[in-house]
Amino acid sequence: MMVRVNRLLLSVFLLSFSTLPFFANNALAQAALTVGDKAPELSLPSPKGDSVSLQSLRGRVVLIDFWASWCAPCIQEQPVLAAIYKKYKHRNFKSGKGFEIYGVSLDNKKERWLAAIKKSKITWTQVSDLKFWNSKAAKIYGIEELPYNLLIDENGTVIAVNLHGDEMERTLSELVQ
Amino acid sequence: MIIVMTIRFQAMAQSQPVTWTVEQLVSPEALAERINANKAPLPLVISVGPSALIKGSVDAGEAHEKASISQLKSILAKESKNREVIIYCGCCPFAKCPNVRPALALLKDLKFSDAKLLNLEKNVKTDWIDKGYPVNEK
Repeated sequence: MMVRVNRLLLSVFLLSFSTLPFFANNALAQAALTVGDKAPELSLPSPKGDSVSLQSLRGRVVLIDFWASWCAPCIQEQPVLAAIYKKYKHRNFKSGKGFEIYGVSLDNKKERWLAAIKKSKITWTQVSDLKFWNSKAAKIYGIEELPYNLLIDENGTVIAVNLHGDEMERTLSELVQ
Repeated sequence: MIIVMTIRFQAMAQSQPVTWTVEQLVSPEALAERINANKAPLPLVISVGPSALIKGSVDAGEAHEKASISQLKSILAKESKNREVIIYCGCCPFAKCPNVRPALALLKDLKFSDAKLLNLEKNVKTDWIDKGYPVNEK
């Protein structure tokens, strides 16, 4: 009986060590935000070099769009974003006046980022710290894949996560006043 | 029938074929251990994606571009065909990655006998950075 208890204790002891790397690994990754969370503040350089903060867009409904020039599905999505931006930019919502997109690029080469903005004819707010997957924004927001987006209201509260295709348009149309 | 065929076609169009063997896949954990141990012989680790983020790796550029393939050729020109070469991209899951396949094809064409692919299943953030594995200092 005593031997059995000792074996059990030894197993628990060993198991606790085997799970240590798991917790250590996850400690480095931030959990993704969900609906109802406050969107953490971001302030990153625009293509001109000046910092643009997410806070500066308060009062509007904002789509925080994580993308990169090296991400093919992100590039494919840009015309969809252009269409909704055009349609909703000046509309009033139940939870905000006007609509803006805060595009956060995970590029690491400025010339590629700028070329992609030009090619996709992006006219909305663009920022990047040009640090690829080491981006501060990706870490803070727990981004694990691209494209990824969050819709926030006038107070910076997350109201939808990862909207793509028709879902994006449908969600915005439901929020319009 | 038509619906099933359409779905299958879309699935095929969205994911690209596997052009490597299981034996060619290197686990991130195993490579990280070797880099940390810093014991010879170390493999030649080449980034064929957006950034050479892994410690000690060299940057060939995104291998779906002609200029990057030329760069990869010039990196490999200095190496023995028996050298262990590990390529990685890490932009996105293998099914969507435009870079690993052309790079592996070049290694095969050039008859590198020990060409491998780092198994970054999701991307270099979740499979490398978040695990605290060594990265190049900028």
